Amino acid sequence: MTRQVARGTPKAQTAAARSRILRHSAVYMMLLPAVVWYAVFCYQPMYGVLLAFKDYKFNMGILRSPWVGLKYFRQFLFATEFWGVIKNTVVISALKLVCSFPAPIILALLLNEVQRLKFKRVVQTVSYLPHFVSWVVVYTLLTIIFTPYGGLVNSLRTQTFGLEAVYYMGEKQYFYPMAVLSDIWKGVGWGTIVYLSAITSVSPELYEAAIVDGAGRMRCAWHITLPGIRPTISILFILATGGILNANTDQILLMQQPANMSISQIIDTYVLKIGIREGRFGYATAIGLFKSVFSAALMFMANSVSKRVGEISIW
Amino acid sequence: MPGARATGLRSNRIRRSFGLRAFTAFNYTFLALFAFITFYPFWYILIASFNMGRDFARGGVYLFPRAFTLDNYKKAFENKQIVDAFLISVGRTGIGVALGLFFTSLMSYGLHIRTLPGRTGFVLYFFITTIVSGGMVPYFLLLRALGLTKSFWIFVWPSIFSFYNMILVRTYFDGIPPELRESARIDGAGEWRTLIQIYLPTSLPVLATVALFVGVGHWNDWFTGAYYVTNQKLMPAATLLQKILMEASSQQSIKPGQESAIYAQAVTTTPQSLQMAFVMILTMPIVAVYPFLQKYYVKGVMVGSVKG
Repeated sequence: MTRQVARGTPKAQTAAARSRILRHSAVYMMLLPAVVWYAVFCYQPMYGVLLAFKDYKFNMGILRSPWVGLKYFRQFLFATEFWGVIKNTVVISALKLVCSFPAPIILALLLNEVQRLKFKRVVQTVSYLPHFVSWVVVYTLLTIIFTPYGGLVNSLRTQTFGLEAVYYMGEKQYFYPMAVLSDIWKGVGWGTIVYLSAITSVSPELYEAAIVDGAGRMRCAWHITLPGIRPTISILFILATGGILNANTDQILLMQQPANMSISQIIDTYVLKIGIREGRFGYATAIGLFKSVFSAALMFMANSVSKRVGEISIW
Repeated sequence: MPGARATGLRSNRIRRSFGLRAFTAFNYTFLALFAFITFYPFWYILIASFNMGRDFARGGVYLFPRAFTLDNYKKAFENKQIVDAFLISVGRTGIGVALGLFFTSLMSYGLHIRTLPGRTGFVLYFFITTIVSGGMVPYFLLLRALGLTKSFWIFVWPSIFSFYNMILVRTYFDGIPPELRESARIDGAGEWRTLIQIYLPTSLPVLATVALFVGVGHWNDWFTGAYYVTNQKLMPAATLLQKILMEASSQQSIKPGQESAIYAQAVTTTPQSLQMAFVMILTMPIVAVYPFLQKYYVKGVMVGSVKG
C-alpha cells in the first residue's frame, strides 16, 4: 500500500505539474517577448565579452577569431593613458561622492522642517525639473550662462564687480567645479524623494519623547531623523561606491574639450574613443571588462564595511 | 512632521523660540534661493528665446524680453534639419512609449502570477542583467550585426524593456485584489482579456508613471544618435543639439565681432538665439507634463528604492 503510493506519487506529481504548466501557457506566451529580448540585448553582449581575449577579425566573428589571452589587459596596464584615465575617473567620482551624495540628504532635512505645505510642494516640484531634462540641455544652459561673450555670470563679473571675464566651460581649472556643481544642480531635488519617504517612516513617538526631554528641532534632526534614515543612506552609499568607476558618461562626454582632456578623460569615454571611434574592439572590450570587475569588487568591499560597521547590507 | 512646539520651562521656551525663528527664517530663505537657482536658468533661456538675438547679445536682459520677437522660433521651424530631427524625436518617443508600455505590461502581468511554475527562475533571469552587462563595445557590435545602426528601430527595440519599470508595474498589479482576476476567469475571460480589460484600465497611474520615465528617456537620449547611429538622416533633436554645441565650442576662438559678420544676413537672430529657441522646444514638452504626474512618480521612486 505505502509502496504503491510512493511509486504513484512522482507520476501524479509530474502530471499535476504538467497540467499546471499547460494551464499557464497563455502566461508563458506573455513572457516570451521579454525572454527573447533579454537573450538578444543583454545575454548576447555578455557572451561578446570574449572579445576581450580575442584578436577580433570581422570576417571570422567572435568565435573563430584567434585567442590572444590577456594581451589587451597587459596593453592597458602599460598604456601611457592608464593612470591618467583611472585617476580622472576616481577623482571625479570621489568629488561627486563627497559633494553630490550628501546634498539631497541635507535638502531633505531642510524640506522636512518646512510647515507651509504649499511652499514645500512648489520647491519640490521645481527641484525635480532638472532631473527630467537631458544633459544636453543642461550643458547648453551652462554654456549660455557662463559664456565669456555676454553670458549672465560674466556680465555680472565685468559690469558689477569690475573683474575680468572667465571662460568657465573651457579653462581646465574650472572643469571639476563645473562638473560637480552641475551634477548637484541636476540631481539634488530628485535625490530627496527617497530620503523624504524614509523620513516619514521614522516613528513619531521618538520625536514626542525627545521634545518632552527638551530637545529642539536641530537636535531632533540630528539625533532622530538622521539615525532613522541611516539604512537608506547606507544602501545608497554602497550603490554609489559600486558606481565609482562610472562617473556619469553623459555629462563628462558633453563637457570634454581639448583643453581639459587631460583631466576629463574617464574610463567610459576612453572606451568609446578606442572602441567605437577607432574600432579597436578587443582592446576596448578588455578595458570595459576591467572596469566591471573592479566596480563589482568595490561594491563588495563597501558592502562588507557597511555590514561590519552598521550591520546594513544590500544582500 | 512634529516640530518643536514644546512645552517646558518658560525661560527655555523663549530662548528656543528665538533660535527656532532664526532657523525658520534661514530655512525658508535658503529654500527659496535654491528654487530660484534651479528655475532661473530655464527662465533666462525662455526670455532669451523670445528676445531679438542681436539685442540680447548686448546684455542686460534678465527678467523679461526687451525686444520681443518670435523670429527665433520661426527660424527654428524653417530649418529643415531641425524639423526633421524633431520628427524623429516625436516618432521614437511615441512608438517607444506605446511599445514599451505594451511589452512591460505583458512581462509584469506574467511575473505577478505567484502560481506560475518557474516564476523565480524567470525573475532571476531578468534580474541578473541589472548587475552584469557585456559593456559598450559588444553591445555596439550586436547593434551593428542586427543592422540596427542604420535603422530607425535602433531607437525603439533596444530600450523596450527595463527591469526597474517592470518592478513598478508588477508592484501595482500585486495590489489589485486577486478576486478580480478570479471572477474574470470564472466569467470566461482568458489571461489576455483579463490583462487588457481589467488590469490595464485599473493601473492608469502606474502606466502614466512608466510612460513618463520611458518617454523622457527617449526624448532626452542624445547618446544613441551620436555614437551608435551611422545614418545622418536619423538624428534625433537631442543629438542635433549636441552636434550644434560641439561645433559652436570648436569655434569659440571666433570673436563676437567676427561672428556677427559671418551671420550678417540674419538681421535679428544670432546662432545663439536660435539655440535658445531649440533648447526651449526641447524642454517645453517635459515642463508641460512632469508636474502633473508628480504624485505618481514620487510613489514610483519609493517602490523602486524599496524593491531595488
